[in-house]
Amino acid sequence: MVAPLLESKLHVPSRRPGAVPRVRLNERLSAASRTALTLLSAPAGFGKTTLLTEWLATLPADGPSVAWLSLDRRDNDPTLFWTYVVASLQRAAGIGDSALSLLQSPQPSIEAALAVLLNDLHASGDDILLVLDDYHLIEAPEVRDGMAFLLEHPPPQLHVVLGTRADPALALGGLRGRGQLLEVRAADLRFTPEESTAYLNGAMGLALTSGDVAALDGRTEGWIAALQLAALSMQGRDDASAFIAGFAGDDRYLVDYLVEEVLARQPADTRDFLLRTAVLGRLTGPLCDAVTGREGGTAALLALERANLFLIPLDDRRQWYRYHHLFADVLKAHLQEEYGPEVRELRRRASVWFEQHGEPAEAIDYALAGADFSRAADLMELAIPVMARSRQESTLRSWVPMLPDEMVRVRPVLGVAFAGALAQVSEFDTVGSRLADIERILRPTAVSGPWPEQPPPGVVVVDIEGFRRLPGNVEMYRAALALRDGDLDGTVSHAWRAMSLSPPDDHLTRAGAAALAGLASWTTGDLASAHAGYAEAVAGLRRAGHISDVLGCSITLADIRRTQGRLDEAVSAYEEALELAAVEPGAPPLRGTADMQVGMAGVLLERDDFPAAAQRLATSQQLGEHNGLPQNLYRWRVAMAQLRAAEGDLDTALELLDEADRVYSGDYSPNVRPVPAERARLRVRRGELGHALAWARERQLSPDDDLSYLREFEHITLARLLIAGSTAGRAAASLDEATGLLERLLVAAEHGERGGSVIEILVLQALAHQSRGDVAAALAPLHRAVGLAEPEGYVRVFADEGPPMAALLKPLSRQASASRYVRRLLAATSTTERHPPVKASLVEPLSGRELDVLRLLGTDMDGPDIARELSVSLNTMRTHTKNIYAKLGVTNRRAAVRQAGELNLLSRIRDH
Amino acid sequence: MTNSPANETDGWGAYEIRVKGRLEPRWAAWFDGMSLTTHDDGTTSIHGNGVDQSALHGLLQKLRDIGLPLISVTHTGRDRPDSATSQPR
Repeated sequence: MVAPLLESKLHVPSRRPGAVPRVRLNERLSAASRTALTLLSAPAGFGKTTLLTEWLATLPADGPSVAWLSLDRRDNDPTLFWTYVVASLQRAAGIGDSALSLLQSPQPSIEAALAVLLNDLHASGDDILLVLDDYHLIEAPEVRDGMAFLLEHPPPQLHVVLGTRADPALALGGLRGRGQLLEVRAADLRFTPEESTAYLNGAMGLALTSGDVAALDGRTEGWIAALQLAALSMQGRDDASAFIAGFAGDDRYLVDYLVEEVLARQPADTRDFLLRTAVLGRLTGPLCDAVTGREGGTAALLALERANLFLIPLDDRRQWYRYHHLFADVLKAHLQEEYGPEVRELRRRASVWFEQHGEPAEAIDYALAGADFSRAADLMELAIPVMARSRQESTLRSWVPMLPDEMVRVRPVLGVAFAGALAQVSEFDTVGSRLADIERILRPTAVSGPWPEQPPPGVVVVDIEGFRRLPGNVEMYRAALALRDGDLDGTVSHAWRAMSLSPPDDHLTRAGAAALAGLASWTTGDLASAHAGYAEAVAGLRRAGHISDVLGCSITLADIRRTQGRLDEAVSAYEEALELAAVEPGAPPLRGTADMQVGMAGVLLERDDFPAAAQRLATSQQLGEHNGLPQNLYRWRVAMAQLRAAEGDLDTALELLDEADRVYSGDYSPNVRPVPAERARLRVRRGELGHALAWARERQLSPDDDLSYLREFEHITLARLLIAGSTAGRAAASLDEATGLLERLLVAAEHGERGGSVIEILVLQALAHQSRGDVAAALAPLHRAVGLAEPEGYVRVFADEGPPMAALLKPLSRQASASRYVRRLLAATSTTERHPPVKASLVEPLSGRELDVLRLLGTDMDGPDIARELSVSLNTMRTHTKNIYAKLGVTNRRAAVRQAGELNLLSRIRDH
Repeated sequence: MTNSPANETDGWGAYEIRVKGRLEPRWAAWFDGMSLTTHDDGTTSIHGNGVDQSALHGLLQKLRDIGLPLISVTHTGRDRPDSATSQPR
């Protein structure tokens, strides 16, 4: 999906005829296939590329595979950079098919692609040399980070070779220390006097005296580019010695001096060709014709190559060339001096040629280099749909600061794309003002007025299709802005306006807006609207062919169904998504498939089908972490923890939840089932009420809180904690609090039509009545819960409660009307063990006063404050503290507070 | 287009960069109009006013790319920018 790759970048450059053999350097480089990184670091003109080319040609046929990539500035886009790297590896060693498909997917994740690539490299049987030439052109931190990642986890088979003018920002010290770095630097690359002699008198056919060679060598200090230029200047000269004497005695910038000499010796039209084509980063005959305004470019290039005029072929067919960079830079300085204003016209012609040959990115670069901003803006506007489709957001983003603001302001289609690119990379600062600018120019009379059918005078529109989509786009990004600002009503209203303003065929905008509306409704607990929004988004994304995004939305669709207590429909959502993601055999599965398996495992587990749930989780794991969307990292662990807990392995479950908490990523979804709350539930189940209490305090939860959907899961968890606290024999009042909280939760859940929550709340109400010893009252909510749960096949919501639930189900199962379902529930529940609360206690109990002090130690009050609060002297307070530490077996305040939590010494929640 | 060196308090000002080799005046254009002074010892100094850090690094990169050995970089003052030419792109 990325713009077509330039084949020539992946070719090892052709060997130069007559290159000086450099045995000592080839031998040194032979160690490259044993180290992780080889650095060829030296200034321009030191023969780095030539050395690499010559050395690679000496490698035996059964040696390592060679992946070559010549970099240019555009490779600072991470997607493009890694696409080229993977393409070169693919060519060299057939590695990287999966990584490439990830990079080309609609939602490329560089990390995921790199992880897959590393796996494939590890599995490779052969050594691979990855040669990246001109690495100094890479400045983007994102690309550098990726390279650092690769070199921090280097597969033993991979050997990276960097040709660069500046040392890269990589942890070279570490690599050096581990013997994993081979360095060849300027001092090594300089021609020795012997090499200079071999070059000048051998390859170049000059007959210089040893004194002349020594003088040249001394002046150039073995700088190869300078020696080459000097040799060119001397060819066919009778007075080489005089030339050398003049040259050695001159202190001008060497290359400049020599290029001037070389140019002076060319026929006028060759000189003119060299200067005018110096603006081109790569050259081919027809392009040169377009730029120079003459014919014969192809022949001219061949002649330059034959004359050794610093022209480097980029392919075997002699179609594309480039000048040696150093030579080109000096030519450009001469061009600027001689042709001045005409240089912009040369760049404009290059831009036109690339535009006509279907390379908009290159066309844009030349327009910008020639300061032809309106041309660049036109080209950008037309390139936007392609860039957006191939997810080259960072390229799009990099264009933003290159155009004058006043120019973007009169180009609303371009402006909205820039705003979108900024929003995509979470740079929201100027998004709002950019959108406001667009509205102001298109609807000058009233911002609430209709959008114009045609661009008003003074407004520049190149992409008419883009203009039709503009109103919907503006409203969609306004919705995104509102969501970021927490304005949920605003999100929904902008999103609906976006949908009504978008043309029917603009599937992506409609889908994007629908998903934003769904997300906002979900956050407020309006699940029916949320489901409608996401369903609309899925339909639009399907029509647009963005299947991976369909999978992302399906996670949410199914989550909503599960909360609504509609497990069958959740299963259908997963199944439909999986069907859609089914690809032809051999191709890597679509990203997000792993997420669907995890979701399915959750429903299977709820329905008490352990083997099938375990199977789905294993399948998800086999697909690999790179196959999961961002949320899957934590969701897999939570689902696995629930399975382990249901199996009775509470320790592993706890470890998994700890991990889940560490890898949590919400990926913009509201956090309606927070991992810490899951963990608090597990703590309750393990009888570790102190930990659960600490969680409730930290979350500042109280049974009197106002209720909201966002905190429903936490409040139900709190109710569980309160019931457990009462059965542990402490604070009988907590049972009243639990009952009150559950009653309010039930009303809220019924009102929000959250059937799944209703079932759980009814179960807890039954348990609360039971704790009071009122089994008759317990049966009513239980009866209702069973009735709601049966059609959807819920089991674990009952079974996980263990013996107390079994005791309640028994009378229910004895009733004449009892179904097979109730008996099944009873069977599943009876096999669940109940872990009794840990009966840890102190050898010597704390006194009432010590408990008061301990409670205050849990606050951020200091000693004198605590003494004042309790109206005792500081000394008395200290004595209490010392006694508390002794009784708890701790030595400091923090440990005392933690121990108090473990031992559940301060069980009343409200005492904070 | 939002460079505002006036807001920068660190690393902004006038710089003198000295390189080995005598540069022809034509190179002034290459360095976006900075002034060049050649010296008898075969070195050239390049002066720029109102140079911020990213401009300075861009300049050093240009020197690197044409293989001019760098001798010194000196911060010579905090003059206000006097013209747009001091902002290489």
